[in-house]
Amino acid sequence: MEKQLLRITVNNEYHELYVKPKRLLVEVLRDELELTGTKRGCNTGACCACTVLLNGVTVKSCSILAMQADGTEVTTVEGLAEGGKLSPIQRSFLDHGAYQCGFCTSGMLISATALINEKPSPTKKQIKEAIHGNICRCTGYNSIIRAIKAVAEGKYKEEE
Amino acid sequence: MGYKCPSCGKIWPDTMDLARHVFGTGDQAHKDWVNSKGLNFIELLLIQTMEPGNKGYKALAELLEKEAEKVD
Amino acid sequence: MMKKYSVINTPIHNIDGIAKITGRAEYAFDIKLPHMLYGKILRSPYPHAKILKINTKKAEGLTGVKAVVTGKDTLGIKQGIWRRFKELCDEEILARSKVRYIGEPVAAVAAVDEDTAEEALDLIEVEYESLPGVFGPLEAIKQGAPQLHEHAERNINVTRHIEWGDVDEGFKKADHVREDWFRCSSQHHVCMETHNAVASFTPDKKLTVWTSTQSHYYIQVLLSWVLGLRENDVRVISRYTGGGFGSKFELDSAQFCSSLLSMKLFKPVKIILTREEEFMATKRRTPMFYYLRTGVKKDGTFLAKEGRVFTEGGAYTSMGATALYLTGFFQAFPYVWPSYRYDGYRVYTNTAPTSAMRGFGAPQATFCAETQIDLIANDLGIDPIKIRRKNAMYPGYEVPGQATIQSCGLSQCLDKIEKWIKSQGKLPPNRGIGIAAYGFMSGGIFNWFDTPYAFSSAVIQVKIDGKVDLYIGSQDMGQGSNTTMTMICAEELGVQVEDIRLHMGDTESCPVDLGAWGSRETLMQGNAVKMAAAKAKQQIIEYAAAKLSPNIVYDLDIKDRWVHLIARPERGLSYYDVVKEAIRGKDGQPIIARGHYTPHRKGMISPAYSFGVQAVDAEVDPDTGKITLKNCVTAHDCGQVINPLGVKGQLEGAMAMAAGYGFTEDLPMDEGKILNPNLVDYKVLRATEMPETKVIEVETYEPEGPFGAKEAGEGLTNPTAGALGNAVFHATGLSIKNLPITPEKVLEALKEKKKEEKK
Ligand code: FES
Ligand code: FES
Ligand SMILES: [Zn+2]
Repeated sequence: MEKQLLRITVNNEYHELYVKPKRLLVEVLRDELELTGTKRGCNTGACCACTVLLNGVTVKSCSILAMQADGTEVTTVEGLAEGGKLSPIQRSFLDHGAYQCGFCTSGMLISATALINEKPSPTKKQIKEAIHGNICRCTGYNSIIRAIKAVAEGKYKEEE
Repeated sequence: MGYKCPSCGKIWPDTMDLARHVFGTGDQAHKDWVNSKGLNFIELLLIQTMEPGNKGYKALAELLEKEAEKVD
Repeated sequence: MMKKYSVINTPIHNIDGIAKITGRAEYAFDIKLPHMLYGKILRSPYPHAKILKINTKKAEGLTGVKAVVTGKDTLGIKQGIWRRFKELCDEEILARSKVRYIGEPVAAVAAVDEDTAEEALDLIEVEYESLPGVFGPLEAIKQGAPQLHEHAERNINVTRHIEWGDVDEGFKKADHVREDWFRCSSQHHVCMETHNAVASFTPDKKLTVWTSTQSHYYIQVLLSWVLGLRENDVRVISRYTGGGFGSKFELDSAQFCSSLLSMKLFKPVKIILTREEEFMATKRRTPMFYYLRTGVKKDGTFLAKEGRVFTEGGAYTSMGATALYLTGFFQAFPYVWPSYRYDGYRVYTNTAPTSAMRGFGAPQATFCAETQIDLIANDLGIDPIKIRRKNAMYPGYEVPGQATIQSCGLSQCLDKIEKWIKSQGKLPPNRGIGIAAYGFMSGGIFNWFDTPYAFSSAVIQVKIDGKVDLYIGSQDMGQGSNTTMTMICAEELGVQVEDIRLHMGDTESCPVDLGAWGSRETLMQGNAVKMAAAKAKQQIIEYAAAKLSPNIVYDLDIKDRWVHLIARPERGLSYYDVVKEAIRGKDGQPIIARGHYTPHRKGMISPAYSFGVQAVDAEVDPDTGKITLKNCVTAHDCGQVINPLGVKGQLEGAMAMAAGYGFTEDLPMDEGKILNPNLVDYKVLRATEMPETKVIEVETYEPEGPFGAKEAGEGLTNPTAGALGNAVFHATGLSIKNLPITPEKVLEALKEKKKEEKK
């Protein structure tokens, strides 16, 4: 099948590349752009390990074609820290031990980031619902919930 | 005092321990020895598990009492 | 006064944390090498069949396909992890003549990309002759049942017997005897990183394998064996592992097939199992059919217990032999049983092999035991806490012929849980609190793998700037052992965590350790690290002593980078300065030290045991049978806590997994076919289902562990299903002895109960 031109901005970097129309976004991110921070846990839309932001909204990158992301801005876990400075969510995850094996962590961080961007002070219930789709087999989620809550409570305001 | 395993020669303090060893090892050599003495290894195991009262082990221990060499 | 510890028992960021939260941690899953090919595995659609013919011609002819391998391309070695016992090495991985479960590998393809490899699988023609299958242990053991392996009459794979005291006498003396039957279901590990490997064989006959594993040493040894290579010409690298839980220390199909293909092609080959393959063919928790007969006195004193179990082995031995022993041993935990008898059978069936999974047979045992104890307490009108306290193990107790318990905080755990339950007051209707007590091992002492090496080793090198290179063989799969080892090293040497640079996950540079299973790392690898650090410290202290020239009766120590007289801490020198001079004084050699640990004369099971009691507060909806978890409180004795943040994470994670075992997770099958091999139908707990969790640490000091530490992560999987079942019992009066406790089973039992009441 003929390759098509994909224009995509990932973590503030603009790319033009030719991809097969069947390629999934997750494949382009991991294999072409070598952003392997985004993981795959199922490839069928059931675990959210592959979650990224597409124009600020969470999508499962295993469930959309790369070409559907043409002309969009994508943020992956690699784009959360800017200039070596960790984002509030990242710092909170560190302090709360909100990861173990780390394989679900990229997706979790993205889901959490989207939540905080959208609702700066979510309730505990809203936090749980925001990460309901993200499977974590290691942590039992509560450390992740505490980490997000701490950010929501303003404990990780950007230092001056 | 002890009893020598007729199959591999390991020594055990009493015939009950020896019976446990024979079952626990359970390789072809040990199985063959039991079967050659007119008992059925697998049947003994099943009796042990399906019925209360440690029957399989007792039966084997009795056999060993007769057959196993006693050593000092 | 100096603080007792400057590193230990402080919450420390996981040393791999930054890599993991920035997406930089490179898992084998992420490895991409130049000219790398992609592999796929063809698996048997039959539960039991002869392989008559395999034709790979068409597949080989497909553009983009580079090679196809089948059992004919292997050495035909039957391998297994119980290397000391030939009959238990029964798995070829690429079957040559017979398949014994759905999903068993029969061929593998390497191609330019995954799609092509996938396409090629369809072109491989396998001619099977289907054989009758047998799917449950109780059927498989019957006379005339289809036999899986030539050597295993009646499909009996392994048997185990444990006995102490006079059981028959005990039952005679008992005032109350109870018999119960239980069925413990299977469970899948569901590691978020599926099994995978990248193998690269080069013309100098050296094989390098990047893989996701719990033990790079085991994989190295097993691969070299089945491939006919020299052990140390195989290099296994596993820097990060995306979850293990017992599923990743046997040789798997990704590792074996990618290696075979690479040896044929002299190119790197990568194989990632799909989630479906993962469910079908990467082993799982052992289902067990338990019979328990228990005799007690009127006052609740335990007298005798008889346990018999049939386990569903699946097609191969794997680690199931260990599970069979441990379930029998932990069936008698954590109580004093004057007499006990256990008989266990592991039976081959035409289902996916069952093996190790977090808790290793103990969660099954604990579920049955703790359910029955509550039933007995109820029969006799005794409080569940009281009956457990009356019979609890205590420090110094000897399990006859099996083990000696050194530290044991079980009674304190019971006290704490009792207090918490009281603080809850009266519960609303349909709510109940159930408890379960448990214990677990801190590393196994058995050596069925037949390693000639020490069980754990560590090497330390101190460099001119005081930076410490620590080399360990243990594997971090998320449980945090990298951080734990770094902390133990820093504490013993008297430096800070930032002073340590850790090297792990590579057989080429790391000393041997048996890997992360059976809760062995904290105690075994920890002791090896502590020993190496103590020896390095000794070398540094010698130089400091020469410089400080104290009265000879004074002892020196290092704490927080300060080398000082213990009696007069203000008299000392900077660690950094002493190291510089020490290296000069040693003719320029860095300070090097080694440590190792192997248990000797520590009983049959483990050098040390953790203990705990868990309370689960649950609500049962009488209309739907749905269970909602409200609270889960655990009082927990893991000896000296090393990393509080790590222990808490382990506890919550274990609870989530074990609760899943208790009421949501299952692997239903039809004639050996798993019906829910995906993450939609297989129900792991989600964030919205988690209860509030609370941890109460009961600190003890374990003389055998580093700084008094012991197991803290696996044992926590033991109590939850039992505590949950007991909560349902106290909420509804229903005792469900068949895991998982699903809404259907609850409703069914409610109906039964109503019928009974009408009569
Ligand atoms: S990999 Fe995309 S949802 Fe699981
Ligand atoms: S940290 Fe391992 S899956 Fe979440
Ligand atoms: Zn013998």
